[in-house]
Amino acid sequence: MDSCIPCHPIVVLTLACALGGLPRAIEAQGDARAQVGAGRVEDVSPAPAGALRTIAVDERLVADRGVRLGDTLTISATPGGAGERVVVGAIVRRAADPSEVARAEYRVRLHLDHLQSVTGAGDRVDRFAVAVTPGSTDAALAAINARSFGFRAHRSSDVAAQASRTFAVVSRFNRAIGVISIVASAIFLLCIMLLKVEERRRDVAALRLLGISRRTVTGAVVIEASCIALLGSAAGVAFGYVASAIINAYYRGLYRTPLAFSMVTPGTVGFAVLLSLALGIGAGFLAARRLTGVPPLSLFGR
Amino acid sequence: MTVSHATGGGVPLLRTENLAREYALAGAPVRAVRGVSLTIEQGEYAAIVGPSGCGKSSLLNLLGAIDRPTSGTVLLRGRDVSHMRDREATEFRLRHIGFVFQRFYLMPMLTALENVELPMAEAGAAKRARRARARELLSYVGLEARGGHRPAQLSGGEQQRVAIARALANEPALLLADEPTGELDARTGRDVIALFDQLNRDGVTIVVVTHDEVLARAARRVVHMVDGVIVSDERNGPGDVGGPPRTTISPALVDAASPFRRTPG
Ligand SMILES: Nc1ncnc2c1ncn2[C@@H]1O[C@H](COP(=O)(O)OP(=O)(O)OP(=O)(O)O)[C@@H](O)[C@H]1O
Ligand SMILES: [Mg+2]
Repeated sequence: MDSCIPCHPIVVLTLACALGGLPRAIEAQGDARAQVGAGRVEDVSPAPAGALRTIAVDERLVADRGVRLGDTLTISATPGGAGERVVVGAIVRRAADPSEVARAEYRVRLHLDHLQSVTGAGDRVDRFAVAVTPGSTDAALAAINARSFGFRAHRSSDVAAQASRTFAVVSRFNRAIGVISIVASAIFLLCIMLLKVEERRRDVAALRLLGISRRTVTGAVVIEASCIALLGSAAGVAFGYVASAIINAYYRGLYRTPLAFSMVTPGTVGFAVLLSLALGIGAGFLAARRLTGVPPLSLFGR
Repeated sequence: MTVSHATGGGVPLLRTENLAREYALAGAPVRAVRGVSLTIEQGEYAAIVGPSGCGKSSLLNLLGAIDRPTSGTVLLRGRDVSHMRDREATEFRLRHIGFVFQRFYLMPMLTALENVELPMAEAGAAKRARRARARELLSYVGLEARGGHRPAQLSGGEQQRVAIARALANEPALLLADEPTGELDARTGRDVIALFDQLNRDGVTIVVVTHDEVLARAARRVVHMVDGVIVSDERNGPGDVGGPPRTTISPALVDAASPFRRTPG
Protein backbone atom coordinates (compact mmCIF):
# COMPACT_ATOMS: atom_id res chain seq x y z
CA MET A 1 0.00 0.00 0.00
CA ASP A 2 1.22 3.46 -0.82
CA SER A 3 -0.64 6.47 0.51
CA CYS A 4 -0.01 10.02 1.60
CA ILE A 5 -0.75 11.11 5.15
CA PRO A 6 -0.44 14.71 6.25
CA CYS A 7 1.40 14.68 9.52
CA HIS A 8 0.95 17.43 12.10
CA PRO A 9 4.23 18.44 13.60
CA ILE A 10 2.68 18.96 17.00
CA VAL A 11 1.95 15.31 17.40
CA VAL A 12 3.83 13.54 20.10
CA LEU A 13 7.33 13.05 19.21
CA THR A 14 9.62 10.54 20.59
CA LEU A 15 12.99 11.63 21.61
CA ALA A 16 16.07 9.62 21.29
CA CYS A 17 17.59 11.59 24.02
CA ALA A 18 20.97 11.47 25.60
CA LEU A 19 21.36 14.13 28.16
CA GLY A 20 24.77 14.16 29.73
CA GLY A 21 24.72 13.32 33.44
CA LEU A 22 21.06 12.39 33.40
CA PRO A 23 19.57 9.05 34.07
CA ARG A 24 19.33 6.73 31.15
CA ALA A 25 16.81 7.74 28.52
CA ILE A 26 15.18 4.56 27.56
CA GLU A 27 13.42 5.82 24.51
CA ALA A 28 16.44 5.80 22.30
CA GLN A 29 15.64 3.72 19.30
CA GLY A 30 17.98 1.91 17.01
CA ASP A 31 15.06 0.64 15.08
CA ALA A 32 11.36 0.55 15.63
CA ARG A 33 11.65 -2.35 18.04
CA ALA A 34 11.43 -0.11 21.07
CA GLN A 35 9.02 1.51 23.41
CA VAL A 36 7.40 4.43 21.65
CA GLY A 37 6.04 7.32 23.71
CA ALA A 38 3.30 6.35 26.11
CA GLY A 39 1.85 3.87 23.68
CA ARG A 40 2.94 0.33 23.13
CA VAL A 41 4.40 -1.08 20.01
CA GLU A 42 2.14 -3.83 18.78
CA ASP A 43 4.33 -5.40 16.21
CA VAL A 44 7.50 -4.51 14.47
CA SER A 45 9.06 -5.54 11.24
CA PRO A 46 12.51 -4.37 10.23
CA ALA A 47 12.78 -1.77 7.50
CA PRO A 48 14.71 -2.70 4.40
CA ALA A 49 18.34 -2.00 5.15
CA GLY A 50 19.67 1.35 3.96
CA ALA A 51 16.43 2.24 2.32
CA LEU A 52 13.39 4.15 3.64
CA ARG A 53 13.08 5.21 7.26
CA THR A 54 10.52 3.66 9.51
CA ILE A 55 7.70 5.33 11.36
CA ALA A 56 5.18 4.14 13.95
CA VAL A 57 1.48 4.70 13.20
CA ASP A 58 -1.55 5.00 15.37
CA GLU A 59 -3.77 1.95 15.65
CA ARG A 60 -6.69 4.13 14.52
CA LEU A 61 -4.95 4.59 11.22
CA VAL A 62 -4.59 0.86 10.98
CA ALA A 63 -8.27 0.38 11.69
CA ASP A 64 -9.53 3.18 9.45
CA ARG A 65 -7.19 3.04 6.49
CA GLY A 66 -6.10 -0.54 6.49
CA VAL A 67 -2.44 0.40 6.98
CA ARG A 68 -0.27 -2.59 7.78
CA LEU A 69 3.24 -3.20 8.97
CA GLY A 70 5.71 -2.93 6.12
CA ASP A 71 3.44 -0.67 4.07
CA THR A 72 5.09 2.26 2.38
CA LEU A 73 3.51 5.64 3.07
CA THR A 74 4.32 9.18 2.04
CA ILE A 75 4.38 11.73 4.84
CA SER A 76 4.50 15.50 4.61
CA ALA A 77 4.33 18.35 7.13
CA THR A 78 1.50 20.09 5.29
CA PRO A 79 -1.40 18.68 3.30
CA GLY A 80 -0.35 18.39 -0.32
CA GLY A 81 3.26 19.32 0.51
CA ALA A 82 6.31 17.56 -0.82
CA GLY A 83 6.39 14.17 0.82
CA GLU A 84 8.87 11.60 1.93
CA ARG A 85 8.33 7.88 1.56
CA VAL A 86 8.54 5.90 4.78
CA VAL A 87 7.85 2.37 5.89
CA VAL A 88 5.41 1.48 8.69
CA GLY A 89 7.64 -0.14 11.24
CA ALA A 90 5.34 -0.17 14.27
CA ILE A 91 1.74 0.22 15.32
CA VAL A 92 1.09 2.16 18.51
CA ARG A 93 -1.82 1.54 20.81
CA ARG A 94 -3.35 4.69 22.35
CA ALA A 95 -2.76 5.26 26.02
CA ALA A 96 -5.63 5.91 28.44
CA ASP A 97 -5.31 9.67 28.60
CA PRO A 98 -8.45 11.65 29.43
CA SER A 99 -7.11 14.79 27.80
CA GLU A 100 -7.06 13.02 24.46
CA VAL A 101 -10.53 11.58 24.56
CA ALA A 102 -12.14 14.02 22.17
CA ARG A 103 -9.18 14.24 19.77
CA ALA A 104 -9.95 12.53 16.54
CA GLU A 105 -6.73 13.13 14.59
CA TYR A 106 -4.33 10.36 13.67
CA ARG A 107 -0.82 10.14 14.98
CA VAL A 108 2.42 9.22 13.41
CA ARG A 109 5.57 8.78 15.41
CA LEU A 110 8.97 9.62 13.99
CA HIS A 111 12.44 9.67 15.39
CA LEU A 112 13.32 13.20 16.42
CA ASP A 113 15.84 13.92 13.69
CA HIS A 114 13.46 12.51 11.12
CA LEU A 115 10.61 14.67 12.41
CA GLN A 116 12.83 17.74 12.36
CA SER A 117 13.79 17.10 8.77
CA VAL A 118 10.20 16.41 7.68
CA THR A 119 8.78 19.52 9.35
CA GLY A 120 11.74 21.70 8.56
CA ALA A 121 11.62 22.97 12.14
CA GLY A 122 15.01 21.84 13.19
CA ASP A 123 15.19 23.84 16.40
CA ARG A 124 11.59 23.51 17.58
CA VAL A 125 10.30 20.97 20.06
CA ASP A 126 7.00 21.37 21.89
CA ARG A 127 7.18 18.53 24.31
CA PHE A 128 9.13 15.39 24.89
CA ALA A 129 9.16 12.63 27.45
CA VAL A 130 12.14 11.35 29.37
CA ALA A 131 11.97 8.04 31.14
CA VAL A 132 14.03 7.76 34.27
CA THR A 133 14.97 4.90 36.52
CA PRO A 134 12.60 4.60 39.46
CA GLY A 135 13.48 6.86 42.39
CA SER A 136 15.54 9.32 40.38
CA THR A 137 12.69 11.51 39.16
CA ASP A 138 13.40 14.37 41.56
CA ALA A 139 17.08 14.44 40.65
CA ALA A 140 16.22 14.33 36.95
CA LEU A 141 13.69 17.15 37.30
CA ALA A 142 16.19 19.27 39.21
CA ALA A 143 18.95 18.57 36.72
CA ILE A 144 16.85 19.36 33.65
CA ASN A 145 15.40 22.52 35.13
CA ALA A 146 18.83 23.66 36.30
CA ARG A 147 20.18 23.53 32.74
CA SER A 148 17.69 26.14 31.56
CA PHE A 149 17.07 24.60 28.19
CA GLY A 150 14.24 27.03 27.71
CA PHE A 151 11.60 24.61 28.86
CA ARG A 152 10.55 23.19 32.14
CA ALA A 153 10.37 19.56 33.15
CA HIS A 154 7.34 18.26 34.99
CA ARG A 155 6.47 14.98 36.47
CA SER A 156 4.17 13.05 34.18
CA SER A 157 1.82 12.48 37.15
CA ASP A 158 1.60 16.26 37.66
CA VAL A 159 0.94 16.80 33.98
CA ALA A 160 -1.73 14.09 34.10
CA ALA A 161 -3.29 15.61 37.22
CA GLN A 162 -3.34 19.01 35.54
CA ALA A 163 -4.89 17.58 32.40
CA SER A 164 -7.49 15.63 34.39
CA ARG A 165 -8.58 18.47 36.62
CA THR A 166 -11.91 18.77 34.82
CA PHE A 167 -12.38 15.07 35.16
CA ALA A 168 -11.69 15.22 38.88
CA VAL A 169 -14.44 17.83 39.23
CA VAL A 170 -16.82 15.71 37.16
CA SER A 171 -15.91 12.72 39.27
CA ARG A 172 -16.63 14.63 42.50
CA PHE A 173 -19.91 15.74 41.05
CA ASN A 174 -20.77 12.12 40.26
CA ARG A 175 -19.91 11.13 43.80
CA ALA A 176 -22.28 13.80 45.12
CA ILE A 177 -25.02 12.42 42.88
CA GLY A 178 -24.22 8.94 44.22
CA VAL A 179 -24.50 10.08 47.82
CA ILE A 180 -27.79 11.84 47.09
CA SER A 181 -29.11 8.66 45.46
CA ILE A 182 -28.13 6.59 48.49
CA VAL A 183 -29.76 9.06 50.89
CA ALA A 184 -32.89 9.11 48.73
CA SER A 185 -33.05 5.33 48.70
CA ALA A 186 -32.57 5.30 52.48
CA ILE A 187 -35.64 7.54 52.75
CA PHE A 188 -37.43 5.07 50.51
CA LEU A 189 -36.24 2.27 52.80
CA LEU A 190 -37.57 4.18 55.80
CA CYS A 191 -40.98 4.40 54.09
CA ILE A 192 -40.91 0.67 53.37
CA MET A 193 -39.97 -0.08 56.96
CA LEU A 194 -42.72 2.18 58.28
CA LEU A 195 -45.25 0.38 56.10
CA LYS A 196 -43.88 -2.97 57.22
CA VAL A 197 -44.06 -2.13 60.91
CA GLU A 198 -47.52 -0.67 60.38
CA GLU A 199 -48.58 -4.03 58.92
CA ARG A 200 -47.18 -5.80 61.97
CA ARG A 201 -48.44 -3.51 64.68
CA ARG A 202 -50.76 -6.09 66.17
CA ASP A 203 -48.21 -8.89 66.01
CA VAL A 204 -45.69 -6.68 67.74
CA ALA A 205 -48.29 -5.61 70.30
CA ALA A 206 -48.91 -9.27 71.08
CA LEU A 207 -45.19 -9.90 71.38
CA ARG A 208 -44.83 -6.99 73.78
CA LEU A 209 -47.73 -8.34 75.86
CA LEU A 210 -46.02 -11.73 75.94
CA GLY A 211 -43.02 -10.02 77.51
CA ILE A 212 -40.78 -9.45 74.49
CA SER A 213 -38.76 -6.35 75.30
CA ARG A 214 -38.51 -3.13 73.32
CA ARG A 215 -34.87 -3.93 72.76
CA THR A 216 -35.66 -7.23 71.08
CA VAL A 217 -38.35 -5.67 68.91
CA THR A 218 -36.06 -2.78 67.96
CA GLY A 219 -33.23 -5.22 67.27
CA ALA A 220 -35.42 -7.31 64.98
CA VAL A 221 -36.60 -4.27 63.00
CA VAL A 222 -33.08 -2.85 62.75
CA ILE A 223 -31.67 -6.19 61.60
CA GLU A 224 -34.38 -6.43 58.97
CA ALA A 225 -33.72 -2.89 57.74
CA SER A 226 -29.97 -3.54 57.69
CA CYS A 227 -30.48 -6.73 55.69
CA ILE A 228 -32.62 -4.84 53.19
CA ALA A 229 -29.97 -2.11 52.99
CA LEU A 230 -27.20 -4.68 52.48
CA LEU A 231 -29.18 -6.59 49.87
CA GLY A 232 -29.95 -3.28 48.17
CA SER A 233 -26.27 -2.37 48.26
CA ALA A 234 -25.28 -5.74 46.82
CA ALA A 235 -27.83 -5.33 44.03
CA GLY A 236 -26.65 -1.74 43.52
CA VAL A 237 -23.00 -2.80 43.30
CA ALA A 238 -23.84 -5.58 40.85
CA PHE A 239 -25.89 -3.14 38.79
CA GLY A 240 -23.04 -0.63 39.02
CA TYR A 241 -20.57 -3.16 37.63
CA VAL A 242 -22.85 -4.08 34.76
CA ALA A 243 -23.75 -0.45 33.98
CA SER A 244 -20.11 0.52 34.23
CA ALA A 245 -19.11 -2.22 31.80
CA ILE A 246 -21.78 -1.10 29.34
CA ILE A 247 -20.82 2.58 29.64
CA ASN A 248 -17.13 1.78 29.16
CA ALA A 249 -17.78 -0.49 26.21
CA TYR A 250 -19.92 2.20 24.57
CA TYR A 251 -17.63 5.17 25.10
CA ARG A 252 -14.43 3.26 24.45
CA GLY A 253 -15.91 2.33 21.10
CA LEU A 254 -17.12 5.86 20.48
CA TYR A 255 -13.87 7.61 21.35
CA ARG A 256 -11.57 4.73 20.50
CA THR A 257 -9.66 4.90 23.73
CA PRO A 258 -8.84 2.35 26.42
CA LEU A 259 -9.85 4.98 28.97
CA ALA A 260 -12.22 3.87 31.77
CA PHE A 261 -15.19 6.24 31.78
CA SER A 262 -16.87 4.61 34.71
CA MET A 263 -15.18 2.76 37.53
CA VAL A 264 -16.59 0.79 40.45
CA THR A 265 -13.64 0.74 42.81
CA PRO A 266 -13.41 -1.11 46.14
CA GLY A 267 -13.34 2.33 47.77
CA THR A 268 -16.59 3.37 46.10
CA VAL A 269 -18.23 0.06 46.98
CA GLY A 270 -17.07 0.26 50.60
CA PHE A 271 -18.24 3.85 50.96
CA ALA A 272 -21.64 3.12 49.37
CA VAL A 273 -22.24 -0.03 51.42
CA LEU A 274 -21.21 1.62 54.70
CA LEU A 275 -23.32 4.69 54.02
CA SER A 276 -26.41 2.69 53.08
CA LEU A 277 -25.90 0.34 56.02
CA ALA A 278 -25.67 3.29 58.42
CA LEU A 279 -28.76 4.88 56.90
CA GLY A 280 -30.53 1.49 56.94
CA ILE A 281 -29.83 1.12 60.65
CA GLY A 282 -31.15 4.65 61.19
CA ALA A 283 -34.30 3.87 59.20
CA GLY A 284 -34.76 0.67 61.23
CA PHE A 285 -34.47 2.61 64.50
CA LEU A 286 -36.96 5.24 63.42
CA ALA A 287 -39.41 2.60 62.21
CA ALA A 288 -38.99 0.56 65.40
CA ARG A 289 -39.70 3.62 67.51
CA ARG A 290 -43.17 3.74 66.00
CA LEU A 291 -43.80 0.37 67.63
CA THR A 292 -41.88 0.63 70.85
CA GLY A 293 -42.52 4.26 71.69
CA VAL A 294 -46.16 3.60 72.61
CA PRO A 295 -47.80 1.28 75.15
CA PRO A 296 -48.43 -2.12 73.55
CA LEU A 297 -52.17 -1.98 74.17
CA SER A 298 -52.49 1.13 72.03
CA LEU A 299 -50.90 -0.80 69.16
CA PHE A 300 -53.99 -2.97 69.11
CA GLY A 301 -55.69 0.13 67.80
CA ARG A 302 -58.39 0.56 70.34
CA MET B 1 -43.90 -32.08 82.17
CA THR B 2 -44.35 -28.87 84.11
CA VAL B 3 -46.72 -26.50 82.46
CA SER B 4 -46.73 -23.88 85.21
CA HIS B 5 -45.25 -22.90 88.54
CA ALA B 6 -48.14 -24.47 90.47
CA THR B 7 -47.63 -25.23 94.15
CA GLY B 8 -51.07 -26.45 95.17
CA GLY B 9 -54.61 -25.20 95.81
CA GLY B 10 -55.87 -22.95 98.59
CA VAL B 11 -52.94 -20.56 98.36
CA PRO B 12 -53.85 -17.08 97.10
CA LEU B 13 -51.95 -16.38 93.94
CA LEU B 14 -53.48 -13.14 92.78
CA ARG B 15 -55.28 -10.49 94.77
CA THR B 16 -56.76 -7.22 93.63
CA GLU B 17 -57.83 -4.51 95.99
CA ASN B 18 -60.37 -1.92 95.01
CA LEU B 19 -59.10 -1.96 91.47
CA ALA B 20 -60.30 0.78 89.15
CA ARG B 21 -59.49 1.77 85.59
CA GLU B 22 -60.77 4.90 83.99
CA TYR B 23 -60.07 5.84 80.40
CA ALA B 24 -59.72 9.57 80.05
CA LEU B 25 -61.63 10.40 76.92
CA ALA B 26 -62.63 13.80 75.66
CA GLY B 27 -66.06 14.47 77.09
CA ALA B 28 -66.84 11.88 79.71
CA PRO B 29 -64.19 9.50 81.01
CA VAL B 30 -65.05 5.81 80.72
CA ARG B 31 -64.98 3.94 84.00
CA ALA B 32 -64.26 0.46 82.71
CA VAL B 33 -63.35 -1.17 86.03
CA ARG B 34 -64.82 0.15 89.24
CA GLY B 35 -63.50 -1.01 92.58
CA VAL B 36 -62.92 -4.69 91.93
CA SER B 37 -61.48 -6.77 94.75
CA LEU B 38 -60.84 -10.33 93.70
CA THR B 39 -58.70 -13.22 94.86
CA ILE B 40 -57.54 -16.02 92.58
CA GLU B 41 -56.06 -19.03 94.28
CA GLN B 42 -53.28 -21.22 93.06
CA GLY B 43 -54.63 -23.87 90.70
CA GLU B 44 -57.92 -22.12 90.14
CA TYR B 45 -59.77 -21.93 86.83
CA ALA B 46 -61.93 -18.83 86.70
CA ALA B 47 -64.02 -17.43 83.87
CA ILE B 48 -64.90 -13.74 83.79
CA VAL B 49 -68.16 -13.25 81.95
CA GLY B 50 -70.52 -10.38 81.32
CA PRO B 51 -72.03 -8.23 78.61
CA SER B 52 -69.89 -6.58 75.99
CA GLY B 53 -68.19 -3.45 77.25
CA CYS B 54 -68.59 -4.34 80.92
CA GLY B 55 -64.83 -4.17 81.50
CA LYS B 56 -63.74 -7.83 81.33
CA SER B 57 -60.74 -7.23 79.07
CA SER B 58 -59.82 -4.08 80.99
CA LEU B 59 -59.75 -6.13 84.19
CA LEU B 60 -57.75 -8.92 82.57
CA ASN B 61 -55.19 -6.38 81.32
CA LEU B 62 -54.78 -5.10 84.85
CA LEU B 63 -54.38 -8.64 86.23
CA GLY B 64 -51.69 -9.35 83.65
CA ALA B 65 -49.58 -6.20 84.24
CA ILE B 66 -50.42 -5.05 80.74
CA ASP B 67 -52.17 -1.92 81.92
CA ARG B 68 -51.93 0.23 85.04
CA PRO B 69 -54.94 0.86 87.23
CA THR B 70 -56.22 4.33 87.95
CA SER B 71 -56.41 3.23 91.58
CA GLY B 72 -56.12 0.06 93.61
CA THR B 73 -53.51 -2.66 93.46
CA VAL B 74 -52.85 -6.03 91.90
CA LEU B 75 -50.68 -8.38 93.92
CA LEU B 76 -49.33 -11.52 92.30
CA ARG B 77 -47.70 -13.79 94.85
CA GLY B 78 -47.59 -10.76 97.12
CA ARG B 79 -45.78 -8.62 94.57
CA ASP B 80 -47.44 -5.41 93.44
CA VAL B 81 -47.58 -5.59 89.67
CA SER B 82 -49.86 -2.62 89.19
CA HIS B 83 -47.29 0.12 89.38
CA MET B 84 -44.36 -1.41 87.60
CA ARG B 85 -42.42 0.53 85.01
CA ASP B 86 -42.68 -0.68 81.44
CA ARG B 87 -39.42 -2.61 81.44
CA GLU B 88 -40.12 -4.30 84.75
CA ALA B 89 -43.69 -5.16 83.76
CA THR B 90 -42.49 -6.61 80.44
CA GLU B 91 -39.96 -8.81 82.21
CA PHE B 92 -42.59 -9.81 84.75
CA ARG B 93 -45.07 -10.83 82.07
CA LEU B 94 -42.38 -12.79 80.28
CA ARG B 95 -41.53 -14.88 83.31
CA HIS B 96 -44.75 -15.12 85.29
CA ILE B 97 -47.75 -14.70 83.03
CA GLY B 98 -48.92 -16.54 79.94
CA PHE B 99 -51.28 -14.85 77.50
CA VAL B 100 -53.67 -16.34 75.02
CA PHE B 101 -55.40 -13.94 72.63
CA GLN B 102 -58.58 -14.26 70.66
CA ARG B 103 -56.66 -13.86 67.39
CA PHE B 104 -53.70 -16.10 68.28
CA TYR B 105 -51.07 -13.59 67.12
CA LEU B 106 -48.48 -16.13 66.13
CA MET B 107 -45.54 -14.71 64.22
CA PRO B 108 -46.28 -15.55 60.59
CA MET B 109 -42.67 -15.98 59.49
CA LEU B 110 -41.82 -18.41 62.30
CA THR B 111 -42.73 -22.08 62.48
CA ALA B 112 -44.98 -23.39 65.23
CA LEU B 113 -41.91 -24.64 67.08
CA GLU B 114 -40.12 -21.30 66.77
CA ASN B 115 -43.22 -19.47 67.94
CA VAL B 116 -43.26 -21.57 71.08
CA GLU B 117 -39.54 -21.03 71.55
CA LEU B 118 -39.80 -17.27 71.27
CA PRO B 119 -40.58 -16.39 74.94
CA MET B 120 -37.93 -18.86 76.09
CA ALA B 121 -35.36 -17.28 73.79
CA GLU B 122 -36.27 -13.89 75.20
CA ALA B 123 -35.86 -15.26 78.70
CA GLY B 124 -32.38 -16.45 77.78
CA ALA B 125 -32.95 -20.22 77.66
CA ALA B 126 -30.29 -22.25 75.85
CA LYS B 127 -31.15 -23.23 72.31
CA ARG B 128 -31.21 -26.96 72.93
CA ALA B 129 -33.25 -26.70 76.13
CA ARG B 130 -35.85 -24.44 74.63
CA ARG B 131 -36.19 -26.55 71.53
CA ALA B 132 -36.75 -29.63 73.68
CA ARG B 133 -39.34 -27.84 75.79
CA ALA B 134 -41.08 -26.41 72.72
CA ARG B 135 -41.38 -29.93 71.32
CA GLU B 136 -42.78 -31.18 74.62
CA LEU B 137 -45.33 -28.38 74.74
CA LEU B 138 -46.41 -28.92 71.14
CA SER B 139 -46.83 -32.57 71.92
CA TYR B 140 -48.87 -31.62 75.02
CA VAL B 141 -51.28 -29.63 72.87
CA GLY B 142 -51.42 -32.46 70.32
CA LEU B 143 -49.37 -30.83 67.58
CA GLU B 144 -46.05 -32.65 67.78
CA ALA B 145 -46.19 -33.36 64.05
CA ARG B 146 -46.82 -29.74 63.10
CA GLY B 147 -43.76 -28.09 64.66
CA GLY B 148 -42.22 -27.27 61.29
CA HIS B 149 -45.36 -25.65 59.91
CA ARG B 150 -45.99 -21.94 59.73
CA PRO B 151 -49.17 -20.41 61.13
CA ALA B 152 -50.64 -19.98 57.64
CA GLN B 153 -50.42 -23.77 57.23
CA LEU B 154 -52.40 -24.41 60.43
CA SER B 155 -56.14 -24.21 61.10
CA GLY B 156 -57.51 -21.68 63.57
CA GLY B 157 -57.85 -24.31 66.30
CA GLU B 158 -54.30 -25.51 65.71
CA GLN B 159 -52.98 -21.97 65.78
CA GLN B 160 -54.73 -21.38 69.08
CA ARG B 161 -53.19 -24.54 70.50
CA VAL B 162 -49.74 -23.35 69.38
CA ALA B 163 -50.52 -20.01 71.06
CA ILE B 164 -51.41 -21.87 74.26
CA ALA B 165 -48.15 -23.82 74.07
CA ARG B 166 -46.32 -20.51 73.60
CA ALA B 167 -48.12 -19.05 76.63
CA LEU B 168 -46.86 -21.97 78.73
CA ALA B 169 -43.28 -21.73 77.51
CA ASN B 170 -41.77 -20.07 80.58
CA GLU B 171 -43.89 -22.04 83.09
CA PRO B 172 -46.06 -19.08 84.05
CA ALA B 173 -47.72 -18.73 87.43
CA LEU B 174 -50.90 -17.62 85.75
CA LEU B 175 -52.45 -18.17 82.34
CA LEU B 176 -54.69 -15.37 81.12
CA ALA B 177 -56.89 -15.76 78.06
CA ASP B 178 -59.14 -13.19 76.41
CA GLU B 179 -61.87 -14.83 74.33
CA PRO B 180 -59.68 -17.81 73.40
CA THR B 181 -62.53 -19.48 71.51
CA GLY B 182 -63.84 -16.25 69.98
CA GLU B 183 -62.41 -16.94 66.53
CA LEU B 184 -63.15 -20.66 66.48
CA ASP B 185 -66.16 -22.69 65.44
CA ALA B 186 -67.98 -24.67 68.12
CA ARG B 187 -66.15 -27.94 67.48
CA THR B 188 -62.65 -26.48 67.43
CA GLY B 189 -63.62 -24.32 70.38
CA ARG B 190 -64.40 -27.50 72.33
CA ASP B 191 -60.88 -28.82 71.67
CA VAL B 192 -59.43 -25.65 73.13
CA ILE B 193 -61.83 -25.85 76.09
CA ALA B 194 -60.75 -29.45 76.69
CA LEU B 195 -57.13 -28.33 76.55
CA PHE B 196 -57.74 -25.62 79.18
CA ASP B 197 -59.45 -28.22 81.32
CA GLN B 198 -56.47 -30.54 81.01
CA LEU B 199 -54.07 -27.69 81.77
CA ASN B 200 -55.96 -26.82 84.93
CA ARG B 201 -55.94 -30.44 86.05
CA ASP B 202 -52.18 -30.34 85.52
CA GLY B 203 -51.94 -27.43 87.91
CA VAL B 204 -52.12 -24.33 85.74
CA THR B 205 -54.00 -21.39 87.24
CA ILE B 206 -56.24 -19.99 84.54
CA VAL B 207 -58.30 -16.83 84.26
CA VAL B 208 -60.29 -16.60 81.08
CA VAL B 209 -62.52 -13.83 79.76
CA THR B 210 -65.26 -15.21 77.57
CA HIS B 211 -68.67 -14.91 75.99
CA ASP B 212 -68.62 -18.63 75.30
CA GLU B 213 -71.09 -20.37 77.61
CA VAL B 214 -69.48 -23.76 77.11
CA LEU B 215 -66.12 -22.39 78.15
CA ALA B 216 -67.65 -20.55 81.10
CA ARG B 217 -69.33 -23.78 82.26
CA ALA B 218 -66.06 -25.65 81.95
CA ALA B 219 -64.35 -23.23 84.34
CA ARG B 220 -64.51 -24.11 88.05
CA ARG B 221 -65.45 -20.57 88.97
CA VAL B 222 -67.49 -17.95 87.15
CA VAL B 223 -67.09 -14.26 87.90
CA HIS B 224 -69.86 -12.17 86.41
CA MET B 225 -69.20 -8.51 85.65
CA VAL B 226 -71.58 -5.74 84.75
CA ASP B 227 -70.56 -2.13 84.18
CA GLY B 228 -67.11 -2.51 85.62
CA VAL B 229 -68.07 -4.29 88.82
CA ILE B 230 -68.34 -7.94 89.81
CA VAL B 231 -71.93 -8.82 90.45
CA SER B 232 -71.61 -12.53 91.08
CA ASP B 233 -68.84 -14.96 91.79
CA GLU B 234 -69.83 -18.61 91.76
CA ARG B 235 -68.32 -22.04 91.69
CA ASN B 236 -69.31 -24.48 89.01
CA GLY B 237 -69.88 -28.18 89.40
CA PRO B 238 -69.45 -30.54 92.33
CA GLY B 239 -66.31 -28.86 93.59
CA ASP B 240 -68.35 -25.85 94.69
CA VAL B 241 -69.11 -26.22 98.38
CA GLY B 242 -70.20 -22.69 99.02
CA GLY B 243 -68.17 -20.67 101.53
CA PRO B 244 -67.72 -16.96 101.82
CA PRO B 245 -67.81 -14.90 98.65
CA ARG B 246 -64.35 -14.14 97.39
CA THR B 247 -65.32 -10.82 95.96
CA THR B 248 -65.97 -7.78 98.02
CA ILE B 249 -68.55 -5.72 96.29
CA SER B 250 -69.85 -2.41 97.36
CA PRO B 251 -73.66 -2.98 97.66
CA ALA B 252 -74.34 0.45 96.20
CA LEU B 253 -72.48 -0.42 93.06
CA VAL B 254 -74.22 -3.74 92.72
CA ASP B 255 -77.58 -2.12 93.13
CA ALA B 256 -76.72 0.39 90.49
CA ALA B 257 -75.24 -1.99 87.98
CA SER B 258 -76.44 -5.51 88.34
CA PRO B 259 -79.49 -7.25 87.10
CA PHE B 260 -78.50 -10.02 89.50
CA ARG B 261 -79.01 -8.86 93.10
CA ARG B 262 -76.53 -10.57 95.31
CA THR B 263 -77.80 -11.73 98.66
CA PRO B 264 -75.11 -11.18 101.25
CA GLY B 265 -73.68 -14.17 103.10
N1 LIG C 1 -58.08 2.03 75.52
C1 LIG C 1 -59.32 2.44 75.75
N2 LIG C 1 -59.65 3.73 75.62
C2 LIG C 1 -60.88 4.15 75.85
N3 LIG C 1 -61.88 3.37 76.23
C3 LIG C 1 -61.64 2.08 76.38
C4 LIG C 1 -60.34 1.53 76.15
N4 LIG C 1 -60.38 0.21 76.39
C5 LIG C 1 -61.64 -0.06 76.75
N5 LIG C 1 -62.39 1.04 76.76
C6 LIG C 1 -63.78 1.16 77.13
O1 LIG C 1 -63.92 0.53 78.37
C7 LIG C 1 -65.11 -0.20 78.45
C8 LIG C 1 -64.78 -1.65 78.78
O2 LIG C 1 -64.08 -2.19 77.69
P1 LIG C 1 -63.58 -3.70 77.68
O3 LIG C 1 -62.85 -3.91 76.44
O4 LIG C 1 -62.88 -3.96 78.94
O5 LIG C 1 -64.95 -4.50 77.64
P2 LIG C 1 -65.20 -6.04 77.47
O6 LIG C 1 -66.05 -6.44 78.59
O7 LIG C 1 -63.95 -6.76 77.30
O8 LIG C 1 -66.04 -6.06 76.12
P3 LIG C 1 -66.12 -7.20 75.03
O9 LIG C 1 -66.84 -8.33 75.65
O10 LIG C 1 -66.90 -6.58 73.93
O11 LIG C 1 -64.73 -7.51 74.65
C9 LIG C 1 -65.78 -0.04 77.10
O12 LIG C 1 -66.75 0.97 77.22
C10 LIG C 1 -64.69 0.37 76.20
O13 LIG C 1 -65.16 1.20 75.17
MG1 LIG D 1 -63.01 -7.79 75.68
